[in-house]
Amino acid sequence: MLQVQNVSKVYEGKIAYRALSNIDLEIEKGEFVGVMGPSGSGKTTLLNMVATIDEPTTGDVLIEGKNPHALSRNELARFRRRELGFVFQEFNLLHTLTVEENMVLPLTLDGKRVKEMKQQANAIAEKLGIADIMTKRTHEISGGQAQRAAIARAMIHQPKLLLADEPTGNLDSKASKDVMGMLSSLNKQEKATMMLVTHDPQAASYADRVVFIRDGKFYSEIHHGKSRQTFFQSIIDTLSLMGGDDSDFSPVRG
Amino acid sequence: MTFRQFAVNNVIRNKRLYVAYFLSSLFTVMIFFTFAIFAFHPTFMDGSVRGEVLYGMAIAGGIIYVFSFFFVLYSMSSFLQSRKREFGLLMMHGMTTRQIRLMIFMENMLIGFFATLGGILLGLVFAKAILLLAENVLVIDETLHFYFPLLAIILTFVSFIVLFLLISLFVSFILRTRRLVDLIKADKQSKGEPKASVVLTVIAVILLASGYMTALYVKGMQVVMAMLPVIIVVTIGTYLLFTQLSVYVIRRLKGSKGIFWRKTNMVLFSDLSFRMKDNARSFFMVAIISTVAFSAIGSLYGAQSYLTRGMTEANPFSFLYTSSPENDEDAIREDVQVIEETMDKYDIDADSSIIDMTYFSRDDGEVLITNESQYNLFAHLLGEKTVQIEDNEAVVVSDSSRVLEPDSETDRLMDDPVELTDGTAIQPDRMMESSVLPEMYSYYIISDAMYEQLPQPDTVETSVAWMADKGQEDALIQAGEAIFDQIDSYNLVAIDFSLYQINKVYGPILFIGLFIGIVFFVSAGSFLYFRLYTDLDDDKEKFRTIAKMGLTDKELKKVINRQTALLFFAPIVVALIHGAVALTALSHLFDFSLVNESALVLGAFAFIQIIYFVVVRYFYTKQIRRAIF
Repeated sequence: MLQVQNVSKVYEGKIAYRALSNIDLEIEKGEFVGVMGPSGSGKTTLLNMVATIDEPTTGDVLIEGKNPHALSRNELARFRRRELGFVFQEFNLLHTLTVEENMVLPLTLDGKRVKEMKQQANAIAEKLGIADIMTKRTHEISGGQAQRAAIARAMIHQPKLLLADEPTGNLDSKASKDVMGMLSSLNKQEKATMMLVTHDPQAASYADRVVFIRDGKFYSEIHHGKSRQTFFQSIIDTLSLMGGDDSDFSPVRG
Repeated sequence: MTFRQFAVNNVIRNKRLYVAYFLSSLFTVMIFFTFAIFAFHPTFMDGSVRGEVLYGMAIAGGIIYVFSFFFVLYSMSSFLQSRKREFGLLMMHGMTTRQIRLMIFMENMLIGFFATLGGILLGLVFAKAILLLAENVLVIDETLHFYFPLLAIILTFVSFIVLFLLISLFVSFILRTRRLVDLIKADKQSKGEPKASVVLTVIAVILLASGYMTALYVKGMQVVMAMLPVIIVVTIGTYLLFTQLSVYVIRRLKGSKGIFWRKTNMVLFSDLSFRMKDNARSFFMVAIISTVAFSAIGSLYGAQSYLTRGMTEANPFSFLYTSSPENDEDAIREDVQVIEETMDKYDIDADSSIIDMTYFSRDDGEVLITNESQYNLFAHLLGEKTVQIEDNEAVVVSDSSRVLEPDSETDRLMDDPVELTDGTAIQPDRMMESSVLPEMYSYYIISDAMYEQLPQPDTVETSVAWMADKGQEDALIQAGEAIFDQIDSYNLVAIDFSLYQINKVYGPILFIGLFIGIVFFVSAGSFLYFRLYTDLDDDKEKFRTIAKMGLTDKELKKVINRQTALLFFAPIVVALIHGAVALTALSHLFDFSLVNESALVLGAFAFIQIIYFVVVRYFYTKQIRRAIF
């Protein structure tokens, strides 16, 4: 489904800075992959590259065999709104719109019929438990609700690939759990492919597989075993093996 | 939610962001519309106003329109700059460039439509007040009644819808979308601290100094020749002043820890140096635009007072009748009778005197010699000082200021004695200035006894002067007009009527100049307002951070106060100095002091700017405080 082949990213400047070097990553259809690493390890850069927000210096990103970076600007826009979904740490909801309007935005941009949009919005809101805040503006809802609305927006058009950048970064532990549980069940039920970048071992433990990068290079990967608890433990172990600064990781949430 | 609903909601629910842009658009429309109301007034349209004036108004309207275009364009593009992040997010969700353009186009048309409508409505409300103002400045016989300005409405509406249409098309192509990551992180990227070059800083000082010195040094016709080079030099100098000199000064200040680390200075200066890049260009534009406004209004006002003051000084009497050589006594008596009767008819109370002005041939033309009692007759009528002259004395009255003689020749009569029939000659012994007698050139006054001994004069003109009591100006104007219908205008000076006629011609010019000046000035103010509000969110963030460390209310106010004051007064002070220099140069051109006029015009603008500053500061402080506490 997603293939990242030998991707490097160099930021030009007075001192050229190599953020990623020769990264390879493959994600199967329906897979839920977490990407972890200390601050500055290049995990967000990798996500941005897959999200077509940023371009790799060398190497290719293929989504279903196609390279989105080779598309024209308009094709790329269409590709984004049909094939990709985004969830950010800062939610990035448009404060001028209501929750419902935010959710249907990708459909609106695609020129869908109002009735269809309404239906889809209601269906997904029901699933995510935000049906009762549909008419509220973004400043009237809590962080957890905002992130759920953002997930709804990212999922409403049934994208092939959902990209999440620290989705729990601004949430308390209860809301984090809710949001991750929701992503996980969307992954199971809708067979949505997901790529999650996070600091949070708790959040990462919801993934099928976690890839670790450090200093822009692939470090290791571990797979989800039988229970989430043991997976969580092995994530913690890998992180401490990887070293780096302890403070780079948020404390264990119970 | 369809795409159209989305674009509309985005505007309506985000009023604060759009309000600055909306208001300045509205203001621009209002100014244009008010001007149009005036220009299309039926009183002007039925042909009582001269063609040149109408032509001038058309030009002025064109200038306002072109200026509005650039102003709205500037407002729009700076407005879009501040929304880069929003566009980045939208593109991330799959908005195509075309859709962004469409959105901006729709937003702009929405704002443009309501701004045009609002500007017209507001213009209508103020139309009466503005027509009243115009009436007083303009001196128009018929009062300018309020009318329903259909033509003006149509013109304004169509012009501005077209304007917004053009700008929408234009702007949506300006917005180059580069890499998405740049857009999304646009508000987090530092623009970098601008650098100043010492060489350019020195050049800035030299350019400004040389420009000013030239402008202040040249006299007379040299002013016209020096004008263009000085304007160019000073404009470049001003640009360098803001882009180089100011940055240089701030860097020096930052370099000195004694100043930079003192209390709240650090907050103020560090921000200043980082914003200077953006600010410098706005400052430059504001300074130049304001200078144009000040100079235009100042010179028009100055020229008017030059004309009217010159005339009033030269013609202190209400009416002055002077006979021509070919008039015989009967003719004179008849004319005087006409004047007296007309004055009676208009119930004018006036004193009058009559004298004979006797001219004697000299080598270089005729010169007036008069005597003590004749001079005193008119002096008394005017309430001026009378003279006392001994038999062996002669007084020379110098040329009036209207005579353009080189300085060295104003005392030419002092060397020429007055020769009497018995062969004696009286050498003039003192000079005085006076505008009592209606004579432009130098003349003599001698004692009554000696005057008897003068030879037969070559020319005699009978002068009759009337001095009306104060407060009858309207009657005098009407009487003047009536008298001119009956006697030759060559013989009579009716100062009130003449001034009235000058004002009537000059009024519209002054009004147009004033209007354009105000348009420029208001736009300059809006530039500053925009500048300030672009930085509002940054400032909120900054002060919130500092407030967490502990910033008292008083300190906060102090920092905001200085920051805003600098923004509002740095360009205006430069413009005021430019304006003062320009007006001084102008007064050198006419050799006529414009100190009062300049002070009035510049003072009025400075005053308005202060009020503007106080109002904006109040709202800005309120916004910041609401964000913190």
